[in-house]
Amino acid sequence: MHSESKIDPKIIEEVLKFSKNVIDAPKLVSAPDEISLEVTPHDTVHELDKTRLLHYRPLTEKQHKTPLLISYALINRYHILDIQPEKSWVRNLLEQGFDLYMLDWGTPTSMDKYLDFDDYVNGYLDSAVEHIKNESSNEKISLQGYCTGATIATAYTALHPESVKNYIATAPVIDGWRDTTVISNLAKHMDVEKMVDTIGNMPPEFMYYCFSVLKPFEQGIEKYVKFFKNIDNKKYVDNFLRVEKWLGDTPPIPGELFKQWIKDIYQDNLLIQNKMYVGGEHIDLKKIDMPTFTQIAVGDHLVSPECSMPLHYAIGSEDKTLRMYPTGHVGMIASSLSQKKVLPELGKWLAERS
Amino acid sequence: MHLMSSKPQALTSTGPMRAFAANSKKVTTELIEINEDLLEFNQYLTEYYKQLSSAWEVAQKKVNLKAPEVPHDVEQIEAFKRIWIDIFDNDFTELFDSKKFGENYGKLVSKELELTKHWNNITNVVLQSVNLPSKEEIDEVYKELHSLKKRVGKLELELKKKEMKKNAQ
Repeated sequence: MHSESKIDPKIIEEVLKFSKNVIDAPKLVSAPDEISLEVTPHDTVHELDKTRLLHYRPLTEKQHKTPLLISYALINRYHILDIQPEKSWVRNLLEQGFDLYMLDWGTPTSMDKYLDFDDYVNGYLDSAVEHIKNESSNEKISLQGYCTGATIATAYTALHPESVKNYIATAPVIDGWRDTTVISNLAKHMDVEKMVDTIGNMPPEFMYYCFSVLKPFEQGIEKYVKFFKNIDNKKYVDNFLRVEKWLGDTPPIPGELFKQWIKDIYQDNLLIQNKMYVGGEHIDLKKIDMPTFTQIAVGDHLVSPECSMPLHYAIGSEDKTLRMYPTGHVGMIASSLSQKKVLPELGKWLAERS
Repeated sequence: MHLMSSKPQALTSTGPMRAFAANSKKVTTELIEINEDLLEFNQYLTEYYKQLSSAWEVAQKKVNLKAPEVPHDVEQIEAFKRIWIDIFDNDFTELFDSKKFGENYGKLVSKELELTKHWNNITNVVLQSVNLPSKEEIDEVYKELHSLKKRVGKLELELKKKEMKKNAQ
């Protein structure tokens, strides 16, 4: 008897096509240093140590009176909020007539290992807010915090409510004990004291390891398979490379800040219990009594909804809104859903209060 | 002549060898401790890979059970890949989320830090032998700088507030 295995010729065709795409890739894609992540025009209007305050140039004739400052996360950089014109959080807000500022935390070096929560909250963020208040002749501004940037912004808003007219918390890291992500599991078992004492700042490589255990097969295999399959699609490739460049550009986190963040948020969970102190000052979430808008992504695998949601219930505001979106951590700020749903809702809410 | 020959250490008091010789015992101690820590580090590393390979084995078995249900034609490659990725991602996320993984990973990193500490200590001996500041001494400078910057910042803010108050009057 003669038996032979039958392979669909289409499968062979697919495999050959995929191999050809892999071989052609170096000819079709740009080198990372050829890609600029600075998309929307802006000016640096204030600097303190390594931080920079960026002021975006307006895209509308008239603007809302109250300026908006974004406090971006400590991991990766603010570029994801302006990664490409069609998905730009920044551009969308400018087109809605907001006067927009962004705080770039810069790149800490070894000598910044003693920078702590106090420096970020009462130093850098406060200095940026004061600058905007003076420049715009406003007594209060609107503040948006994203991810770990929202932890800093939450602490700031609780300590300086007199400077914040509206507060927007986007995927904020608040209740570490309720967080169900892999990140929180690693953080809970970390000897952060020893880590910071030994190596100082948290190196980017450590962050890359933490990212690598988040959906490892989707992110580590499927993503690249899709990339090679779409190698002829210029727009897809450009977007992919921009996001990859952004992902691979994480600054170190100052040691003392990292230590306090892991201990106070993930291990001892002090913030949500109103037991956290920053620079000797007590953080009472009830002091956040201005209009507050909390945005949460249901599929967030970096900051789980259970970790963010408690902020909405813990603050003292009477005018508060909680919105949940069927997307992920990055999808909430840089996707077609964010353009069609998340930003219009935020813009409407903020315009009514600006 | 007698004085010179009776104090030979005085001859080498400014060179690197005297300082290095005085601390050479420290280097030996650190190397012995590195060996001990390496043993424990390897135990946690072995456990780490054991956990990964067990998760892989279980996930692959689940995929194998599902595989016969998927027809082997080009249209189904995508469906099969999806099943494979979903099962592997779920099982590995479950592992990374578990207490046993968290604990072992925490101990693995902690041991790695112990090794770094020993390496730092050895480097300090070499640095001191050539009159360069140790890591601790540099850290002291950083700490002092940080504290000074903070104090200056606060003073500047106070001044600014006073000025603004004065201008407002």
